[in-house]
Amino acid sequence: MWGEIMLILKPKVNFVVTVEAEITPELATKSLDEILNFKVYYGKNLVKLGDLFEVKKEGDDKKIILDGDFSRVKWIGCRMEDGEILVKGSVGTNCGAYMKGGKIIIEGNADDWLGAEMNGGEIVVKGNTGNLVGCAYYGDATGMSNGKIIIEGNAGNYIGEKMSGGIIEIKGNAGDFVGTEMRGGQIIIHGSCGFVGGDMRGGEIAIKGSFELLPAFIKKEEGLWVGDVNVKGEGKIRAIKS
Amino acid sequence: MVNVVCTFCGSVCDDGEYENGKIKKLCRLGSAKFAEKERIKSPMVDGKEVSYEEAIQKAAEILVNAKKPLLYGWASTANEAIRLGVILTEKVRGIYDQCASVCHAPGTLAVIEEGLPGGTLGSIKNRADVVVFWGANPMEAHPRHGIRYSISAKGLLIKDRKNRKIVVVDVRKTRTAKNADLFVQVKPGYDYAVITALRSIINGNLDAVPEEVGGVKKEQLVQLADIMKNAKYGAILYGLGVTQSRGRDRTIENAVKLVQLLNRTTRWIIWPMRGHYNVVGAGEVPAWEVGYQYAIDFSRGYPRFSPNEFAAVEVLKRKDCDAALIIASDPVAHFPKAAVKHLKEIPVIQIDPFPNMTTLLAKVVIPSAIYGIEAEGTAYRMDCIPLRLKKVVETKYWSDEKILAEILKKVEELKKG
Amino acid sequence: MAIHIKNGIVIDPKNKIKAEKMDLFIKDGKIVDEKAVKKEECQVIDATNKLVVAGGVDMHAHIAGSKINTGRTMRPEEMRVVRRVADTFRAAVGRVLLTAPAIGYEYAKMGYTVSFEAAQPPIGALHTHEELDAIPMIDKAALPVFGNWHLVFKFVEEKNIEKLKAFIAWAIERTKGFGVKAVNPGGVEAWMYGKNVRSLDDQVPGFNITPREIITSLIQATEELKLPHSVHLHCNNLGVPGNYQTTIETIKLASKFSNSKRQVLHVTHVQFNSYAGSSWRDAASGAAEIAKVVNSIDNVTIDMGQPIFGHATAMTGDAPFQFTLHRLTGAKWSNKDSEVEGGAGIVPLVYLPNNPVHALQWAIGLELGLLIDSNKVVLTTDYPNGGPFTEYPYVMAMLMSRKMREKELQKVSPYVQKATGLAAIDKEKTLEELIHMTRSLPAKILGLENKGHLGIGADADVAIYDLNPLDVDTSNEFEKVYKALKTAVYTIKGGEIIVKNGELVKEVWGRTYWVDARSKVDLEAVMPDIENYFQYYSIELQNYGVEESWIRMPERIVVG
Repeated sequence: MWGEIMLILKPKVNFVVTVEAEITPELATKSLDEILNFKVYYGKNLVKLGDLFEVKKEGDDKKIILDGDFSRVKWIGCRMEDGEILVKGSVGTNCGAYMKGGKIIIEGNADDWLGAEMNGGEIVVKGNTGNLVGCAYYGDATGMSNGKIIIEGNAGNYIGEKMSGGIIEIKGNAGDFVGTEMRGGQIIIHGSCGFVGGDMRGGEIAIKGSFELLPAFIKKEEGLWVGDVNVKGEGKIRAIKS
Repeated sequence: MVNVVCTFCGSVCDDGEYENGKIKKLCRLGSAKFAEKERIKSPMVDGKEVSYEEAIQKAAEILVNAKKPLLYGWASTANEAIRLGVILTEKVRGIYDQCASVCHAPGTLAVIEEGLPGGTLGSIKNRADVVVFWGANPMEAHPRHGIRYSISAKGLLIKDRKNRKIVVVDVRKTRTAKNADLFVQVKPGYDYAVITALRSIINGNLDAVPEEVGGVKKEQLVQLADIMKNAKYGAILYGLGVTQSRGRDRTIENAVKLVQLLNRTTRWIIWPMRGHYNVVGAGEVPAWEVGYQYAIDFSRGYPRFSPNEFAAVEVLKRKDCDAALIIASDPVAHFPKAAVKHLKEIPVIQIDPFPNMTTLLAKVVIPSAIYGIEAEGTAYRMDCIPLRLKKVVETKYWSDEKILAEILKKVEELKKG
Repeated sequence: MAIHIKNGIVIDPKNKIKAEKMDLFIKDGKIVDEKAVKKEECQVIDATNKLVVAGGVDMHAHIAGSKINTGRTMRPEEMRVVRRVADTFRAAVGRVLLTAPAIGYEYAKMGYTVSFEAAQPPIGALHTHEELDAIPMIDKAALPVFGNWHLVFKFVEEKNIEKLKAFIAWAIERTKGFGVKAVNPGGVEAWMYGKNVRSLDDQVPGFNITPREIITSLIQATEELKLPHSVHLHCNNLGVPGNYQTTIETIKLASKFSNSKRQVLHVTHVQFNSYAGSSWRDAASGAAEIAKVVNSIDNVTIDMGQPIFGHATAMTGDAPFQFTLHRLTGAKWSNKDSEVEGGAGIVPLVYLPNNPVHALQWAIGLELGLLIDSNKVVLTTDYPNGGPFTEYPYVMAMLMSRKMREKELQKVSPYVQKATGLAAIDKEKTLEELIHMTRSLPAKILGLENKGHLGIGADADVAIYDLNPLDVDTSNEFEKVYKALKTAVYTIKGGEIIVKNGELVKEVWGRTYWVDARSKVDLEAVMPDIENYFQYYSIELQNYGVEESWIRMPERIVVG
C-alpha cells in the first residue's frame, strides 16, 4: 500500500521536552523548503520541523512515514481529512484528534486521547493505547462521532466516552469506564474490561471477556442488557459468545 | 491575639487565640502548625548559603532558560503569592499545576461535566438534617469539622447532634464511621456502582439493582436511598477515599447526578472535603487569571488545560519539563517513583518555610515566611469562603509573595536581555 | 501629561452637547478648561470628524467573584477562545466568559471605562474584591446582595427601619460594597426548603414577612441613608411566563417614595421579567405594558438584560431559578447556598435565533429598549446571562435602526411576529440617546457625578470612535455604526491613553468605589443583633469583611 511517493520524517535529536507537531498528510504535498520550515512547538519555542527531524521527500502524494520513536510528539494527524500516516514506532498524545478522514497506522503504542472527537477516517494501533480513546475533550458534549479505531493490543481507561457514532474495536483488554455517557456507535472488546456503559443513552458495547455491569441495566435476553435506566437510555451491552 | 486563622487543613478554623508563642482552641494538627519546627536557615544555591538576591537571580535564570519549566505546589500559600505564581508561569511559558492534581482535582473534572450543587459550611451547620461523609474521615483529617460545621454543629434549624443523621460510606470503619448513625461499607472500587444503584432506586428502577452492589446489600441501599429522599436538607461531603480510588472524577460526577436527582423533591448539596488550607485558592486564583484551575500549560503563550498531559505527575512521568519550581509542597515525598526520578534529573527551585525531601535535591532553595503566623494574606476555606490570614510574629524570612515578586522582576529583566 | 483632543464631534448628554465640533482638554486625570493647560505641552489627538464621548459605564455585569469563577471552572470550553497571546500585556482568553485580564481589555477596546459587579455575596466579598483587583483598565465597584439576608429579614419583621439602616451601613462598609442589591427577595430563602416565592405577598418560610415588605423596607432604608445608588432589584418570578405582572406590581412599589436626584428603584435585566402567557408554549411579550408603567412613574429606572444570540452562562443570586433552568435545559448546574445570606446558581445556555423562546427573549429586550423613555432605560446584557458585553454596539445599532431590526427579524423564529410587537415598532433612537443610555444615564443612576460626561471636573475617561455624528445616517448605515462603536479609535482612562486604533497601548489599574454611610446611623445599637446572629455563621464576626488596605486602589465615597 505504501508506494514510493511519500514524505519521511525521522527525529534527529533527543527531545528534551515533548514536541507539538500538528502534521497531517497535507504536508507531504508541500515543497521541501516549506516542509523544512513547517512550524512546530518545542517547549516555549516555535521551531522549524527541519530543526528537529530529518526530512526526506520522495514525492507529492499525501503519505507520511514517521520513522522512529514519536512517543514524545503530540497532535500527529490532528484534524487530518485524507491521506495516510504510518508511524513506525509509538506516538504521543492527541494523535488523530478531530480527525475527519484518511488513515493512521501506528506500529507501536499510542498515548492518551487517541482519536479524541474523531469524525471520520481510520486509526489502527498495533500495540497498546493509553486512556481516553475516542473521548470528548473536557467541556465538550460529544466524543467520537464517526470513523473507526482498531487497537490490536490493550486500551486504558475511559474509552469512547460521550461517543455518538463510529466504531472502536479493541482486540485485547480495555480498562475501566468504557462507553460512559455513550449515545451511539459501537465499542467491541475482545478481551475483558471494568465498568461499562454508565449513563449510556444509546449505541452498543460488545464484550467477549469479563466485564462489570452497573446496577442500571435491565437484562433483555441471555447476553443482552439495556440501559442506563437513570437516563432512560437505550444503550445495549452485549456479551459476545465465544 | 484572638480569632487567629489556622493554616493547616481546609477547615481553616478562624477562632485561634495566640499569646506568647502559644496557640489555643485549635486542634492538635492546627496547634502543631504553630509549634516551633526546624526551618530552612538561609537561601541556598547548590547547597551553599547565599543571599535572597543571589538565590532569586539563579532561580530566574533557570526559569528563563528552560524550554518548559513546571511550577508546582501552591496549596499552602496565600492567594497573593499564587497570583504572582500564575503570572510568572505565563511569563516563562511554563506549566502551572497545584496539589489538587494529586488529591481533589477529580472533583474539578466532575464540575466540568455536571457542575457543583453546593453550599457553604454555614449552610450545613444551620440546615443539614442529614450529612453523608463519603470516603471522608473528618475525625482524623479535619478534627474540628464535625463540631464547627457538620456532625454536632449547633445551627439555626438543627440545634444539635440529635436532630442530625450522620451517614458514613467508606471502605473501612473509620473513627467517623464509629460515631455515625449509619455506616455503609463499600467494597474498595465500588463507590461508582453504589451511587448508580442509589440513583436507580430513587428513580424507581429497583429491578435494575441486584441483591448486592459493591458489597452492600440491596436492603441497605434502599434504606440509604430513603434517608436521602426524606432529608429536608442533606449534604454529601466527599473525601480522598472517592477522589483517589477507582473511578475518581466519574464517581464524583455520578454523585453530582444523584444530588441533581434529589433536588427535584428536596434539598441536597455536595461538597469536597479539601485538604490543604488554601488548596481552593490554588485553583480559584488561576481560574480568574487564566481560566483554569490546574494542569495549565503556557508554552504557546496562552493557557491550555489538559489534566492528562499537564498535571505535574503526568508531566514528570513523561519527562515533559526541563526545570521545576516547587513551592509549599513536597513532591519528592509524595509523588510516584517515576515522577520523582525526573525531578532528580532537572534543576529544581524550592520555596518553602521548612526543609523536606524536595530540599535534598533542589539546586536553589529559598526559605519563606509561614502564612498565618509570620505573614499576612488571603486564603479560601474548603467551601470557598475567603479568610484573611494574620501575622502574629515578626520574622526575618521573606514572604512567598515578596520572593515571587522579585523573581518576576528578575525574569522580566532577563527576558529584556 | 496633558492631552488636547482636537476638532472632535462631542456628544455629552449630561451637559446638553448634541454633536458639536469642539476641543477637549485633559490634565491630571480630569477634564479641564482650555485655560488650565499649556497647549504646547499637550499631546494632541486629532479627532477630526470623529465621535468624542465619555467612557462607557456598565452598571450591571457579573465580572468578579465566586459565580463567574465557578462559571469559568465549569466551562473549559469557554476558555479555549484565545484573544491575546502574552506579550507586554497578559494573555487573555474566553468566548463569553472571560478571564479577569480579558474583561478589562475588552471593555477598554470598546471604549468602556467603568463596570459594576452586580451581585456580591457578602461573605465572599474578599473574593469579589480580589477578582476586581485583577481586572485592569477600568474603574469598578460591587453591589452586595441583601434580599435574602436573615438579618434583613429580622429587622423587616421587627419593622425597625433604624436598625435596618444601621445594618445596611455596616454591611456595605464590611463588604466594601457600593449599594443595595436584592435578588428574588425571600425566594432564595424559600429555596433552602426546595421552594420559591411566587408573588409579592407570599410568606417567606421561617419569617413573618413577604417580598413586598422586604423590598419597601430596603427602599425606605436606602433612601433615608441617602446612598448614591437606589435599591437595585432583580424581581421575584424571574424567567417565569406571566411574570410581567409581578414586575409591574413591584415597579409600582416605588411610587410611595421620592428622591429629587435620582430614581428610588432600579429594576434590573427587566427582559427576564417581562413575559406574558401561562407557559413557555404560549409565552408572549409583556414589554409594552411594562414600558407604559415605567414611563408613567418618575421614580424607576431599568436596564435591559438584552440576550445576544450565541453562548451565554446564566449566573444569578436567584438560586431557585437556576435550578429550574437546569431542569429545563438539562445542562450542568452549580449551586451556592451561602450561610444565612442567600444563594446563587450557575447554568450554561445558548440563545438560538430559531428557538421561539430565545427569539422571544431577544425581541422583548429590544422592545424595552425602544419603548421606554431613554432617560429611564440603560443598555445591558446582564453579562454573561444574556451574553457578552462586547456586543453592546449591536444593541446600540439595533435601537437606532428599524432597517437593521427588519433584517435581523428575518433570521429569527417567526414566533416573535405574533408574540411580540417588535416588528411594528418604528421608533429609532438617536445616537445621542444611545450615548446617554450607555454613559450619562447609568452614571446618574449609580450616583457617580464624575462619570459618564465630559464637563469640567469630570474624570478624563473618554472614548473616540470613527463615526461622524453630523454625517452618519444611523437608520441606514447600521453596519458602519456597529463597526465604529465596536472598537474605539482611542480610549482614555483617567487621562491616560490606554487604547489606540483598537489596540491596547497601556495597562492601567482603575479604582474600586465603595460607600461609607456609617456616620448616619447608630452602629452601636445594631451590633448586639449582629453579634448574636453570628452564631449562625461559620466564621467569626471579627474575620468578616474586607479592609480598605487589602484593595489595590480603593475610593471611599462618604455619605452624610
